[in-house]
Amino acid sequence: MYLPNKQSALVIGLFLLIFNIGCFAHGVDSNTEKFLTNNTGSAIGPFLYIGAKHMVTGYDHLLFLIGVIFFLFRTRDILIYVSLFTLGHSLTLLFGVLNHINVNAYLIDAVIAFSIIYKGFDNLGGFKKLLGFQPNTKIAVVIFGLFHGFGLATKLQDFALPQESLITNMIAFNIGVEIGQCIALLFILTLLGFWRRHKSYFAFSKGSNTLLMTGGLVLLGYQLTGYFSA
Amino acid sequence: MNTIPQASIKSLLLSCLTSIVLAAIILLVAVLPAEYNIDPTGLGEKFGLTALAQTTDTAPHIDISTCTDSKSPTESLWKDSVKITIPANKGLEYKFHITKGEVFEFVWNTDGTKLYFDFHGEPQGDTTGYFKSFKETTDNQSSGTLSVPFTGSHGWYWENKSTQAVIINLKTRGNYKILGLR
Repeated sequence: MYLPNKQSALVIGLFLLIFNIGCFAHGVDSNTEKFLTNNTGSAIGPFLYIGAKHMVTGYDHLLFLIGVIFFLFRTRDILIYVSLFTLGHSLTLLFGVLNHINVNAYLIDAVIAFSIIYKGFDNLGGFKKLLGFQPNTKIAVVIFGLFHGFGLATKLQDFALPQESLITNMIAFNIGVEIGQCIALLFILTLLGFWRRHKSYFAFSKGSNTLLMTGGLVLLGYQLTGYFSA
Repeated sequence: MNTIPQASIKSLLLSCLTSIVLAAIILLVAVLPAEYNIDPTGLGEKFGLTALAQTTDTAPHIDISTCTDSKSPTESLWKDSVKITIPANKGLEYKFHITKGEVFEFVWNTDGTKLYFDFHGEPQGDTTGYFKSFKETTDNQSSGTLSVPFTGSHGWYWENKSTQAVIINLKTRGNYKILGLR
């Protein structure tokens, strides 16, 4: 389901590219014609930037990441969990855009908000206490990653995506997202790293995760209100 | 990995309650008034937050013959909304197929960067390369209503002469088929 679509998108892309060179010639004055023939619609730089910006300024993704790494102290663990998150959101981002799956932005953002609440509750030891066991944290991060990816796909599809370079632009956006994630993580880990040296980190861990849940709840309320009033 | 502290049921409940109460206060007092003009406590009005939620769509209208006066596109009752990225030093076309006599309403703006643009239409089936230009100028926004003079593809050609990619927010309303980027 995935590959044939990719191939057909490529074929359509090539077709459009050839077809468009003839098409571009009318509708604009001769001065600007050369700009159009030059433009294949691929804009790697802009889409890289948009992806990175979306992540760096995306407080919902960042709050979730903070929740995920809150109790991860070894670099190896952080790498594993962040990779799992990346795997999850990349899969649905690529799948969603290629198949033109456009989930309601409010609903998908509500699920993303829920993921923050879940992680905050998890960090408070809530599941262990409530269910008597700890739900697998690695599986959770992949599953929530999948939802975050659908959110990204929805955001990307807000832009007019030229068919002929859909894949290039989409991959540029995806790489941009990962770059943005790395930059954001560097800041978060630096700050958390300083704080972790103090005992207050653990003393405040309950408060921090309560605030994390608060943030998730505010976002959830914001998105659901948007959904029902739009 | 197993440094997650063991919580007592009591402290867990306290944490959950605290977060729910905090979130409710933030939502009711700040977020809902500012974002949606929903103000159950009246505090949003007091702090002037509800002003943020009021739409300020007072864009000037186009003064060209084919465009009738726009009755200020009031609320955000737009049918379609799209973001179009124009790479640096490139130009792009975004078109709609509209039949003769239809009324096409639109508003677009950039982040502030001015773009050269040509708002024009091409009659359906025409192969001579003829096109009618409705508005051609350089600006960072435009809005108005077009009484479509002939059936065909209508839309914009934007050219970004700056060294930075520019994102256009285009909102439209009317009876049309989106042809998209050309």
